Amino acid sequence: MNIKQFILRIFGSKKQKTASVGMPASQSKKMQKMMAMLSNTREVELTCDEVFALLDQFTELAAQGEDVRKLMPLVQQHLDMCEDCREEYRVLESILNATA
Amino acid sequence: MDKRTNEEWVADLRAGGDRQALALEDLRAIILRGLPYAIAGRLNPNSPESEALTEEVVQETLMRVLQYLDTFEGRSQFTTWAHKIAVRAALTELRRVRWREVPLPEMEMNDEADTSYRELPDEQASPEEQLSRTEMMSRVNQIIMEELTEKQRKALMGIMEGFPLEEAAQRMGTNRNALYKMLHDARLRLKKRLEKEGLTPQEILAVFEQAGK
Repeated sequence: MNIKQFILRIFGSKKQKTASVGMPASQSKKMQKMMAMLSNTREVELTCDEVFALLDQFTELAAQGEDVRKLMPLVQQHLDMCEDCREEYRVLESILNATA
Repeated sequence: MDKRTNEEWVADLRAGGDRQALALEDLRAIILRGLPYAIAGRLNPNSPESEALTEEVVQETLMRVLQYLDTFEGRSQFTTWAHKIAVRAALTELRRVRWREVPLPEMEMNDEADTSYRELPDEQASPEEQLSRTEMMSRVNQIIMEELTEKQRKALMGIMEGFPLEEAAQRMGTNRNALYKMLHDARLRLKKRLEKEGLTPQEILAVFEQAGK
């Protein structure tokens, strides 16, 4: 696969064109998503397993109104990056809020 | 009875016999109260699938709680720890169901798609904007091709397409944790290469954000 093909594959095709911008919205959004990910990338990051081990503590602290971004910044950074872990956090948060 | 302290939960679950059975029964009821929050919006809560999934997840959670009881360090309420295990089990299964028919994007392209690449810029952006975005995209993708392995590109593509990490990992014969590490390495490589080229993600982001205005 050449570069041109890869560009198209990862950033979309002509079927996704929008009427108001210079290139398909899907392409632009994917590029924005990727750059946001790169911008938030740190030299040292926790893995999903490491975050899972701390997620119960993190969620309780957040539910208590603590500033978890300051208290557990690496967990927060991982949640910002990882959709799977973020989804699990949100469900756990909703359980704690409902059963408190 | 779900007003046990953490220590009481651990002791009861370790006790064996009727004491353990009662603790498991109580924990089962607690997990059942939490699971609807995992299922909500992902599966019809009144469907037979939902009922089957709930039972499967409860069983799996109780088994894992017993298996990993020694790893509970008491940093949270015991019940929060158990809910965490149940949520992971439930969402893993729900993702599997949701994505089972969707293939991980392949890299092979056809001629028709190749043609569409030449049509990317549309007439509503100024020629300068078109050039700027197209050149930037081309440059970024050149870097992706040069810096990342085939596996990293495939994983990145899956994530960009909205694939859950867990599902992408399963299809690539690895696990979620290892795939996160692989993607972290890929992101770091791209970020460093951009820096070498005198670019920051924020600058590139700015070029593409203009496209949405």
